Amino acid sequence: MTTLTADTLSNDATLLPDTPDTACDDAGPVASPASAAAPEYLRLEGLAKRFGETQVLSQIDAEIAKGEFVTLLGPSGCGKSTLLRAIAGLNQLDDGRIVVDDEEITALPPQQRGVGMVFQHYALFPNMRVTDNVAFGLRMQKVPQEERRRRVDEVLRLVELQAHADKFPHQLSGGQCQRVALARALVVEPRILLMDEPLSALDARIRGHLREQLRDIQQTLGLTTLFVTHDQEEALMMSDRIFLMHDGRILQQGAAEELYTRPSGRHAAGFMGHYNVLLGDQARPLLGDSVDSARVALRPETLYLQPLTEGAMSVALPVRPGPGCRGVIRRRQLLGNIVRYAVACAGVVLSVDALNRGSRHLLAKESEVLVVVDLDEVQEFEE
Amino acid sequence: MLQNADLTLSRPRGFALPVLRLSRPSPYALVVWGVFTLLALPLVATLGYALASSWGATLLPDGLTLKWFLELWSTPRFQWAFARSMLVTVGALALSLVLVVPVAFLAHTRYPRLDAWMNGLILVPFAVPPVVSSVGLLQLYAGGPLPLVGTPWILMFTYVTIALPFVYRAIANSLRTIEVTSLMEAAQLLGATPFKTFFLVILPNIRVGVQVAVFLSFSFLVGEFVFANMLVGTRFETLQVYLNNMRGASGHFTSALVITLFLFTLLLTWLGNRQAGHTITKEARS
Repeated sequence: MTTLTADTLSNDATLLPDTPDTACDDAGPVASPASAAAPEYLRLEGLAKRFGETQVLSQIDAEIAKGEFVTLLGPSGCGKSTLLRAIAGLNQLDDGRIVVDDEEITALPPQQRGVGMVFQHYALFPNMRVTDNVAFGLRMQKVPQEERRRRVDEVLRLVELQAHADKFPHQLSGGQCQRVALARALVVEPRILLMDEPLSALDARIRGHLREQLRDIQQTLGLTTLFVTHDQEEALMMSDRIFLMHDGRILQQGAAEELYTRPSGRHAAGFMGHYNVLLGDQARPLLGDSVDSARVALRPETLYLQPLTEGAMSVALPVRPGPGCRGVIRRRQLLGNIVRYAVACAGVVLSVDALNRGSRHLLAKESEVLVVVDLDEVQEFEE
Repeated sequence: MLQNADLTLSRPRGFALPVLRLSRPSPYALVVWGVFTLLALPLVATLGYALASSWGATLLPDGLTLKWFLELWSTPRFQWAFARSMLVTVGALALSLVLVVPVAFLAHTRYPRLDAWMNGLILVPFAVPPVVSSVGLLQLYAGGPLPLVGTPWILMFTYVTIALPFVYRAIANSLRTIEVTSLMEAAQLLGATPFKTFFLVILPNIRVGVQVAVFLSFSFLVGEFVFANMLVGTRFETLQVYLNNMRGASGHFTSALVITLFLFTLLLTWLGNRQAGHTITKEARS
């Protein structure tokens, strides 16, 4: 484990190969950078799939540009892994078409689709050394030994594992294993890289580092990537676009910022950013009489707490504040740089986030506060 | 002994007297060595008799010699019996591997319900005593369309059924320790056919389990007597049947035979256990 920390936390500057273009100088699809992005490199048209009685995928339509990093985000059981596996060809679809680079691959077997896949639990071949694991795909393609060795060396350099080339998977840490798995998928120069929760089995520190490394490699190679996760933070940090999935559908797709600040409906708001989703009537004391939508969603960091106890420090209020509503702090959780309060206010309990500016600013449990809403950040839904 | 143990347990840790403990052997060790001696005594006596030139009215043998061993090993009848035993057991194990590996693999990947069936099936050789099933086998195969009794084939097929529980469980357990499905998928995405995946990825990873099963089954199949005697007897004399037939010969000679068999079985069991030990340390390291 000690070697791992030293190794994986190594200087960011060394993350990329000195000459990125040599890493893929064969004219494979991977080699062309993201700048040549044509829209709709990968097209999903009306994909549907049911297991027995449950509809696990329905009406999946999406277009993904070349070199784009798209994350499928959603709670477990929302169909995101099923969708990824369907694109890989590991699951059969009941309906719909998958098109890559104007070639329909819906009926092709997995090995002919030109996709690389990284699994949550690595799925490395335990009986093979790192080099043999990585070389496996090339061996199956009957690539001559000399070229095989060169390409394996290059990709191992890319994932910084040259030093571990002769080890067996059981001698590596989780983070190293996942980098081997990535190298194994990259070496065959796939048209699309699929990753099924590749960071979920790792501990937090390694995960953070590998996240950056994955993104760097993806950018360097200009690789069209589909990434599955249930971790909102991971999705927000890594993706060009996020597909938010729920009950086998894509609920909303868009850039990270858009998804976070403008959820399309109450399900989207429920999954992103711990939104407080309230019925219109419940929200009236906070927002005033202007509310006439069925539901509103309020992000915890757009709510401001003004202490009502004497001598307490006042806080800066938003440009367009709501009327303000008296409440009592029921719970206080310290999340590090953020303090999360549960505030009982007008019959509902609201989740409110404040920056942790030091103990003088912390509000005590059971103290009275005025909850003020930033009216510019209120999301209204009709259902 | 119990009292002693209680005392050791109730004594506060800081007051333990290491000097006393070192000088007195632990009561548990005494029990273990006692049992070991009890079990080893007949073997040691047999070994002594096999090595004795003659051991009659005296307390100790008159002299030591390797004569009996050399005589046994150079007897053609022994060599033949040995070869026959090898043939039947190796054949039976090869056959059971060819049958069981694909079944265990399919039960693990495609047809999970097959595993439940197999688990029931492998109990049958334990449930039916060898004497009973050999009578049944005699009835079935003495004549009729498939007269196998008296040929090595019937013995080989029967041994497949006795080895089945050990071979199946060992292989099923090895398959359980690797993630067969995702390994298959990973290999398939990299362009390997299911056939290649099986030989390049799955088989090497269950190799150790298979070896352990083979070595252990081998050692008890070599020592099998009931089926060998009932089904083929002297028509295809295996080691155990030969031993039985030689019981009227010189005691020194049969002692040498028993010791030879024992050492051979010991060697195989040790080989099997050594493989198992390797796996355990390998797993512990990962």
